[in-house]
Amino acid sequence: MAAIFRREILSYFVTPSGYVFLGLFLLLSGILFSFGTILSGNSSFSGFLESIQFIFLFSTPVLTMRLMSEETRQKTDQLLFTSPIGFYELVLGKYFAALALFCLAFLAILSYSVVVLLYGDFRILETLSAALGFLLLGASFIAIGTFISSTTENQATSAVATFVVLLLFWIMEPLKSGLPQDVNAGIVFSASLALLLCYALFAATRSRIVTLLAVAVFAAAIALPAVLWPRIFSGLVASAFDWISLLKRQESFSGGLIRLDNIVYYLSFIFAFLFLSVRFVEKRRWS
Amino acid sequence: MIKVEGLGKRYGGRTALEDISFSISKGEIVGFLGPNGAGKTTTMNIIAGYSSATRGRVLIDGLDVLEHPMETKRRIGYLPEQPPLYNELTVDEYLAFVAELKKLPAGQRRQARDEALELSSLVEVRKRVIRNLSKGYRQRVGLAQALIAKPDILILDEPTVGLDPLQITEIRDLILRLGKDRTIILSSHILPEVSMVCKRVLIIAGGRIVADRTMDGIAGIEAGSGSVVVRVAANEEDTSRLLSSVPGIDRITFLGSFEVGSCDFRLDAEGGKDLRRELFAAFAASTLPLIGLRTANPSLEDVFLELTMKEAEA
Repeated sequence: MAAIFRREILSYFVTPSGYVFLGLFLLLSGILFSFGTILSGNSSFSGFLESIQFIFLFSTPVLTMRLMSEETRQKTDQLLFTSPIGFYELVLGKYFAALALFCLAFLAILSYSVVVLLYGDFRILETLSAALGFLLLGASFIAIGTFISSTTENQATSAVATFVVLLLFWIMEPLKSGLPQDVNAGIVFSASLALLLCYALFAATRSRIVTLLAVAVFAAAIALPAVLWPRIFSGLVASAFDWISLLKRQESFSGGLIRLDNIVYYLSFIFAFLFLSVRFVEKRRWS
Repeated sequence: MIKVEGLGKRYGGRTALEDISFSISKGEIVGFLGPNGAGKTTTMNIIAGYSSATRGRVLIDGLDVLEHPMETKRRIGYLPEQPPLYNELTVDEYLAFVAELKKLPAGQRRQARDEALELSSLVEVRKRVIRNLSKGYRQRVGLAQALIAKPDILILDEPTVGLDPLQITEIRDLILRLGKDRTIILSSHILPEVSMVCKRVLIIAGGRIVADRTMDGIAGIEAGSGSVVVRVAANEEDTSRLLSSVPGIDRITFLGSFEVGSCDFRLDAEGGKDLRRELFAAFAASTLPLIGLRTANPSLEDVFLELTMKEAEA
């Protein structure tokens, strides 16, 4: 893992990608800090951190697009997969390298807080909470990028797909208000979700019996409450979106509230995408 | 040391490997021959643990490569057809990475890297970025990568492809040197190269092993072991008259004139008999100057073509 990590960091700095990422991040955050904090006399550092989250949309693809894609394209994966390292070591090494670069950018941004400390009212605990949220959000996005990079051997595809997926997470909030909130929509939504899960189960196990059994269980689990207590399906779509939304959970962090469930959510999100990356890398060998 | 049992591989609907079985003992240098798409690279990829087989298994020192990937991968150094290089790194940085990747103890990495650089004659380019190296150097960096962890087994997929004749000789000498205390599998479509380096060849065609022979065995197989080619500094008529007086010749074939004022004949003997002494006596008694005489044993090309053609017909 250490070997992969070191090589990845080295590659960030002998190719343009590391500089492009840091440049992009620091330029945009610098502009926002000048205008949003210094010139407008706003001393809320947590507010500043929240305002620069949109930079993730552009910077994450730069950071993650080549992680796995480039190995496949240059055929260096032949070296990696014939060396005595595990697939998880490979994915984690790469993920932590991207994360390290992100943390570097973050440390640079944290140094801006000196200005607030000297000239404004610096609320340390609120800033720490916001910083934790900021880091978790960035780490989650990098996990998405890592996963997408492991599915394609084309860097451009990887970058564009990462951008689009991140954008979808971004617009989840405004999208939510346009969605139907009645009981029927809730039932249809749960049923589609259940079908998707059943399909995933079938793809994983290839067993008809298990899948049919799962379909039966889900059907009962949806039909029974739908008949007995239809009210619980009202507004379900919106709460599901709220639950999934990575950004919604930022609100409590920037407000200075560190909640365990939010931390657990981000960590499981990261774990899930890294797990999928490992599976994808592993699976390519079998095709 | 390497045991391959009933390997089969399907990509989607296409069958890449039908049924490949062979075993290689310690210290052998084995050549893999076959037309493009025969399954050489696929077989090598499976042995090295890069891809998996649909059927069958590979044992390295008795360990299954799928069940014990870490132990078996430590014993193998692999140079794929396209060397797996990070173009943005220098040779030193790259080999330092590989040494760590191969899980060499931290204290041995520097020495292992220096030895690999030395063996592959890369010392003078060690500080250069791989992207700027010539094809020959890149190939050698690939070889250094395969050597660095001192594996018992080396798998080299077309190690001399795209190199100039001098570089080919260098790589070939290196392989011979390495083969003294290692097991080597190498694939190539340059047949003379295989015959110079390998003591045994496996010919693959259509996803099967169609021949498994030692080089000595190849020299003596099939028809034509008693054939001789002569070059005589005389015209065709006189020569063929003289040749027809030599006893024991089954068939005389005129091959053409390859040198001014001379002609070449191929002579097949009855029952594979050695004709050279009779020919010497006949020419010594005549006035026709015999300027060339060689046995016409089938080359690797002949064997290769014959076997793969047979496979194509079947």
